[in-house]
Amino acid sequence: MPPIPVLDLANLPDADVVALAQKGREPAYRELIRRYERPVFSLVYRMVRDRELAEDLSQDTFVKVLTHIEKYRSEFKFSSWLFKIANNVAIDHLRRRQLDTISMEGSPHATTSDLAEATSFELATQDETPLQELEARELGSEIERAISQLRPEYRACILLRHVEDKSYEEIAATLDLPLGTVKTYIHRARHELRKLLEHVREGFGPVTEEPA
Amino acid sequence: MQHRHLLPNEIDLLVDHESGFGVQPLREHVRDCPDCRARLALAERVVGSLAEVPLFAPRVGMADRIMSRVPVFVPWHVAARDAVVQWVPTSGPARALAAALVAVVGSIVTGVTLWVATRGDMLATVTGLVGEEARSAATNAAGDVVVALFGNQVVSAVQQVGPLGIAFAAGGFLVASVATVLGLRLIAASSRARS
Repeated sequence: MPPIPVLDLANLPDADVVALAQKGREPAYRELIRRYERPVFSLVYRMVRDRELAEDLSQDTFVKVLTHIEKYRSEFKFSSWLFKIANNVAIDHLRRRQLDTISMEGSPHATTSDLAEATSFELATQDETPLQELEARELGSEIERAISQLRPEYRACILLRHVEDKSYEEIAATLDLPLGTVKTYIHRARHELRKLLEHVREGFGPVTEEPA
Repeated sequence: MQHRHLLPNEIDLLVDHESGFGVQPLREHVRDCPDCRARLALAERVVGSLAEVPLFAPRVGMADRIMSRVPVFVPWHVAARDAVVQWVPTSGPARALAAALVAVVGSIVTGVTLWVATRGDMLATVTGLVGEEARSAATNAAGDVVVALFGNQVVSAVQQVGPLGIAFAAGGFLVASVATVLGLRLIAASSRARS
């Protein structure tokens, strides 16, 4: 392939970079990956809570998106399309593996203490691999623990809203949900987070009971 | 000021900095109610801490791993344009020279084509001569191959007999080929049966 005119890809808006990718410019593909590898990986990692698996699923997300880049329609935001695929990939995996019910404290559906223990995460054990240790450190903060205990649907909404700074409308488009449902999910997620974090006085402060 | 505490969804309206109708009374209530003020402060701290959670980095080389699985799709019109572009010189003077050269060659080719096209009788004569030469060359080459394979005597004998002789020879050749193939298969089958 002949050299293309030197473009400062980093300063182009997503739509222009995608247009170049649609013309078969490999640097444009790489620029899209560079822009979104961390946000996509972070979203998927917080959904599945397994670093290696999150890498695989993030890669699958990018492969799906970039393989079908010619189908992208510019009336949608590229990031919304990308996060939609990432969320679907993560949710599909959770459904397949039934990991959606697993939390740090064990599955909320566990009926016995043994079952709860079997489905709980250990934050640090003597058998931990360096990778698991890294995961435990990364996801071990109070806020990360609280996020991990949300339902996956709530988790995706709250992460897109506050980590990716998406509007309610964008989240609705990204997750293919009605706007009202997105608002409800975010409202419930915040409410659960407040309950989960109310014991953490330092940094979050005391809580008084909310009216029903 | 309203006299009831804020509902959770009303707290959310304030957290989202909504400015619609009905939000101002909520703000006034919060200003005067320590309980709701504390709840709003907690909600804002939770949202603030969410906004501050870090982005995680995947292992180095993710782009390479992804690109090794992505076929880069180049549309035909882009590929065609690229093929042309790679022959275009980069410097201005070289570009002007190339353009002049293309114009001269293009003009000559066009002129010759038009000149030939306006002389139909000459075109027909030339085409006929070339066709005759090609046919003659192909016939001679085929004759040489047959002579090399079967020898001069066989060829002259077949030529004497005529088309009937050629058909007879071809039939004999076909029968001999089929018999050879069947014989070889029979030998192979009996050899497998023994082993």
